[in-house]
Amino acid sequence: MKDKKKNKGSLRGTKFPERKDFFQRKISEFGDLKSSLEPNKAESKSASRKLKNTVGIGTVAERMIIKQLHQEIEQRKKTDQLAQDARNYAESIINTVREPLISLDKDLRVVTVSRSFYDVFKVKPAETVGQLIYDLGNKQWNIPKLRELLETILPQKTTFDNYEVEHDFTTIGRRIMLLNARQIQRGLGKERIILLAIEDITERKEIEKGLEKAHKELNDLATELKRVARVKSEFLANMSHELRTPLNSINGFSEVLYDETFGLLNEKQKKYVNNVLISGKHLLSLINQILDMAKVESGKMKLVLSNLPMKSLLSEISLLVADMAGKKNLQLLLEIDENLPDVEADELKVKEIIYNLLSNVVKFTPEGGKIGMRARKVDSEIEIVVWDTGVGIASENMEKIFEGFFRVDTPYSRITEGTGLGLPLSKKLVELHGGKFSVESQGLNKGTLVRFTLPMMSRKAGV
Amino acid sequence: MKKKVLVIDDNANNLLLERDLLEVAGFEVFEAENAADGIAIARKEKPNIIIMDVRLPDMRGPDAARILRQDKKLDDIPIIFVTASVMAEGKEELKDITKSGFIGKPINTRTFVKEISQFIK
Repeated sequence: MKDKKKNKGSLRGTKFPERKDFFQRKISEFGDLKSSLEPNKAESKSASRKLKNTVGIGTVAERMIIKQLHQEIEQRKKTDQLAQDARNYAESIINTVREPLISLDKDLRVVTVSRSFYDVFKVKPAETVGQLIYDLGNKQWNIPKLRELLETILPQKTTFDNYEVEHDFTTIGRRIMLLNARQIQRGLGKERIILLAIEDITERKEIEKGLEKAHKELNDLATELKRVARVKSEFLANMSHELRTPLNSINGFSEVLYDETFGLLNEKQKKYVNNVLISGKHLLSLINQILDMAKVESGKMKLVLSNLPMKSLLSEISLLVADMAGKKNLQLLLEIDENLPDVEADELKVKEIIYNLLSNVVKFTPEGGKIGMRARKVDSEIEIVVWDTGVGIASENMEKIFEGFFRVDTPYSRITEGTGLGLPLSKKLVELHGGKFSVESQGLNKGTLVRFTLPMMSRKAGV
Repeated sequence: MKKKVLVIDDNANNLLLERDLLEVAGFEVFEAENAADGIAIARKEKPNIIIMDVRLPDMRGPDAARILRQDKKLDDIPIIFVTASVMAEGKEELKDITKSGFIGKPINTRTFVKEISQFIK
């Protein structure tokens, strides 16, 4: 009984292996029950039955030992199952992680290796397990920094995280690896195993390096762009200044001559000096439009908003154009809605847009043609259409008309004066007001229609 | 008595054009090709109005104007800047000068004298 009591504790405890023989002997006494130690359900059941059946015979002491034994067997089965589950669990983890994982014994020989280790480092299972880690892949793993980690650092620390190692492998080339190591006590003895996770961060490093480089390049580019923008704006200011100075003389003196301030000119002189004046003024409007384009493009164009009575503004500008149209014997048709509302916009810019468009239709419509303007309210906007029966735009040129300095090459356009910037600038000014701008033409010599909108309440309020 | 006007501009053509327009309109015109000469003439003649370029050979027009404004006898004379620097940056440096005006180049010869006369009391 003394034995039994002692055994009761030890059976579940650490001394169990030493007592195994004693119990096996007892099992043999009551039949072939050895198989019940194996985790086989069917056999185990029959063994249990046998045990139960035998309980009826023998002494009380024997019965108690058997009962005790029965409990221990059940316990052992559970423990075995748990151990097996844990092993499967651990192996599944090792084989599931993408990161190569390797376990080494105390002599640094490979115990197990994850599948991904074989994939990443191109080594065969046959020449891996049982090998000294340094000998792997034909001694490719003889890496000084790895030796340092395994032989110097790990004996002092049981864990080590994110140890960066760079190595040139003959099979897979230069790799940068991040090593994470754990020293684990194995089983009940003092034997230790080393778990080594190897993360290949070569690509990540390259991406990081690339990102860093891209970031620097982007910064440099941004600095350069700012510099270019500043140089461009300085250049434009200088250009404007330098061109205006001689124009002051060209336009000023020709105007004084044309006005005959200092004496009469003959007809030819007057005509010629007027040609100089017209060309000078053309040059001036070119400079102004180039500057305006640059201002819009650099976001420096500011709108001075006010409430514009559109109906009277449109009539006013059409009067200016009526004179030009009359000279070319063009029929001008105005359809301005009686109830056209006011809009919130920049007066000078709106006048410029409408004047640009109306002078275009006069320029590009041959004598005897028709030109016109329609204006009406559409939802919260007003829509203005300027049209003509003139030279039109070939479909292949539809895109080019907004590029600047493009003029349709027709017999009419050769003789007409224009900067080629009126249309693109008008479009930009409309868009700056939050409106839409479009050009339609059925083709060459089939007329042109320009349609644009201006919101009644500016979306750029506060600018 | 004729109104006196001082024109300061280093460009001979601009000087000639402005002199012509002003003389035709009945002004007595004084000329200077740099700021130092202009300031000297201003002190001597006490013109009714000064017309000056912004970019002068010896200093910038606004700096010359500030010197004139410090002179008690001259601080009341209107100064009109006639400049080819018509962009916003060019106008900025003229803001703090009292009794000053701005005319962009090229000038309109038909309205120039009228614009100038508006600044004279």
